[in-house]
Amino acid sequence: MADKDPKSVSAALAAATCSLLGSLPAAPVQAEEEPNWDFNTALLYYGEDNDRVQDLSLNILARRDYLDDRFLTLGLTIDTLTGATPNGAIRQNVPQTFTRPSGSSAYTVPAGELPLDDTFKDTRAAITVGWEQPLGRLWKTGIGFSGSREYDYTHLGLSGSLSRDFNKRNTTVSAGLAVAHDIWDPVGGAPLPFAPMLDVGDTGNKTGSDTKNIVDAVVGITQVVSRRLLVQLNYSLSNASGYLTDPYKFLSLVDGATGDTIPRVPAPGAEGPSHEFRFENRPDERTKHSLYGQAKYYMSGKVLDASYRYMTDDWDIDSHTVDLRLRWPLGEYSYIEPHLRFYTQSEAGFYTISLVDGVELPAHASADYRLGNFDAITAGLKYGWKTSSGSEMSLRAEIYQQNGTIPGELLIGNQVGRETYPDLDAIIVQLSYHFSR
Amino acid sequence: MGIPDSARAVSVEAGQDCLVGRFAAMASPCEILIESGDRELATHLTRTAADEAWRIEDKFSRYIPDNIVGQINTANGRPIEVDDETASLLDFAATLYDLSDGRFDITSGVLREVWTFDGGDRIPDPEAVDNVVQRVGWRRLSWRRPVLALQPGMQIDLGGIGKEYAVDRVAGMLSEAIACSVVVNFGGDLAVTRQPRQRSVWRVGIEALSATGGRAGTVLEISTGALATSGDSRRFLRKGGVRYSHILDPRSGWPVEGAPRSVTVAADTCTQAGMLSTLAMLEGHAAEAFLDGEGVIYWCRR
Repeated sequence: MADKDPKSVSAALAAATCSLLGSLPAAPVQAEEEPNWDFNTALLYYGEDNDRVQDLSLNILARRDYLDDRFLTLGLTIDTLTGATPNGAIRQNVPQTFTRPSGSSAYTVPAGELPLDDTFKDTRAAITVGWEQPLGRLWKTGIGFSGSREYDYTHLGLSGSLSRDFNKRNTTVSAGLAVAHDIWDPVGGAPLPFAPMLDVGDTGNKTGSDTKNIVDAVVGITQVVSRRLLVQLNYSLSNASGYLTDPYKFLSLVDGATGDTIPRVPAPGAEGPSHEFRFENRPDERTKHSLYGQAKYYMSGKVLDASYRYMTDDWDIDSHTVDLRLRWPLGEYSYIEPHLRFYTQSEAGFYTISLVDGVELPAHASADYRLGNFDAITAGLKYGWKTSSGSEMSLRAEIYQQNGTIPGELLIGNQVGRETYPDLDAIIVQLSYHFSR
Repeated sequence: MGIPDSARAVSVEAGQDCLVGRFAAMASPCEILIESGDRELATHLTRTAADEAWRIEDKFSRYIPDNIVGQINTANGRPIEVDDETASLLDFAATLYDLSDGRFDITSGVLREVWTFDGGDRIPDPEAVDNVVQRVGWRRLSWRRPVLALQPGMQIDLGGIGKEYAVDRVAGMLSEAIACSVVVNFGGDLAVTRQPRQRSVWRVGIEALSATGGRAGTVLEISTGALATSGDSRRFLRKGGVRYSHILDPRSGWPVEGAPRSVTVAADTCTQAGMLSTLAMLEGHAAEAFLDGEGVIYWCRR
């Protein structure tokens, strides 16, 4: 056969098959090996109102299928952060001047305005590598590595997981452990606890870099209750130790009677803070416990996904999260998915508005609004569709609203009525594209 | 020896986004995958498929004594006039014989008298092989449609064509009967009646290595056309460090050297796919070169 013209056998065979069967199918063969790579890409914009934080993030997750339930995942995230964020100081009826974290210049906030640090500008690159595979018929295991790098922060993490199926694969019990080592190398150095903010060029209040270690453990059970209902329950324990303070946040040092910040005069000829500010200091350990429950309910093409999380930690923060999504098909090739999320948290035990002059400093204190008492709601809509090439696209738009209250007993003198929680409105827009190769 | 009626049952169960009809025919598990949720329809289609598969099995299996193949093989030199369908299969066999320079030969079945591929080391006596080969060869018989005459001692076996032919026959019938996509899968040789609507492809696992160095258990996506696999890595003999494949060259009576363990071919019909994979096996070392030259889609495992 090798000495015949190429394709001669195929052509003669096609003719012979046609006479044998009476006809040949109209459509020619279309067969290929299943694509091995799955790509999930997303471009996300997060923007807070009033020129606060803006984040643009590109996310690429590639998953290689090695058959027999063995997968390699590679993830890459690049995001850029710009904008201003509350620095922790309270409002004053006079302009306030602050030394920038770098210690090389100063900025001034007008009278009556919430002091924002507008020096935020960062680019972060993060990678993840994961491998999962079965161990025998019922066990499955996974390992992962994560790393990220930004100007002042480095993260390195390792994780492992193990799960086993029971009950004809209707029940899966899983456990996971993750450890991380993070390095803070703040601009201008990490401030010493409660160190005063100094004049531009004076770095006597800063030291070098610092680190923290995080250990996360999770155990969970997933149960297929019926053909329509899937439930999952997780308990997780997280312990962080080391430098947990935000090196860019500080508190105003105030007069115990008026509540006004103590004025300060920079050294002759120097630029520097107009008032007394003290860098914050958080405990060097935090232990969180979380309980998470999720139910997915399938009803004739629609999927309701409801979850609840309770978190409590030894910083006295308790939080509750309720998340609801309903995936609603629109014909065969598209769907919409409304999303609602409610969040509420109590403030940390050491959360305060200001430090009082002449009074012994507390062991820990922070005025970071993220450690305060607040509620948040997210409401959004996602629209997803299949392209003619079989890829999937989706567009998600959401609004986020965060409203907090400052406990009355934390407000002193003039702070009452002047100081309010820095509420936040943000929008989130995400474009996702999923394809296989 | 006939097939007991109790073995001739069909069942239908739910699969992934389809209904799966099952039955056994031609010593293979048979599946009909139907892109529909209508169980009554699925049962009807499965029954139609099974009836046709059993009809072809009853008519052409060499294990059933009184069928047309049995009559031909026991005619002891007498000419036999055959029906149209049998005649078409014999014409097809004649074409394959010519196309393969005598490597594909439906009279080679008698070589089983001396060769038993059970993984052991019983290599037959060369003299015994030479004796049997005297009774092998399409050119030794007389075929003038519709009359076939074998020499005494010769036999024909349509097993190398029958299953693929049955898949195509059933696929043709189901394609006419129903507008939704159906996969007809007889023990791994399969055909798709038309492009599936919802999923756009059917996923099929094959036990073959890809030409580009893939792994066992490759998953293929097929939307139209057919697949067939030749070869069976469990059927071989081994002696003196030599592995004898069960693919016999009917011209010598000895195993083809360097035959791949299996070859899967994708083609417009299951019959074409099956013949191309068989011809590739018969090429031995040159299997891939042959398939490349023919420009077909294939996965070869060595």
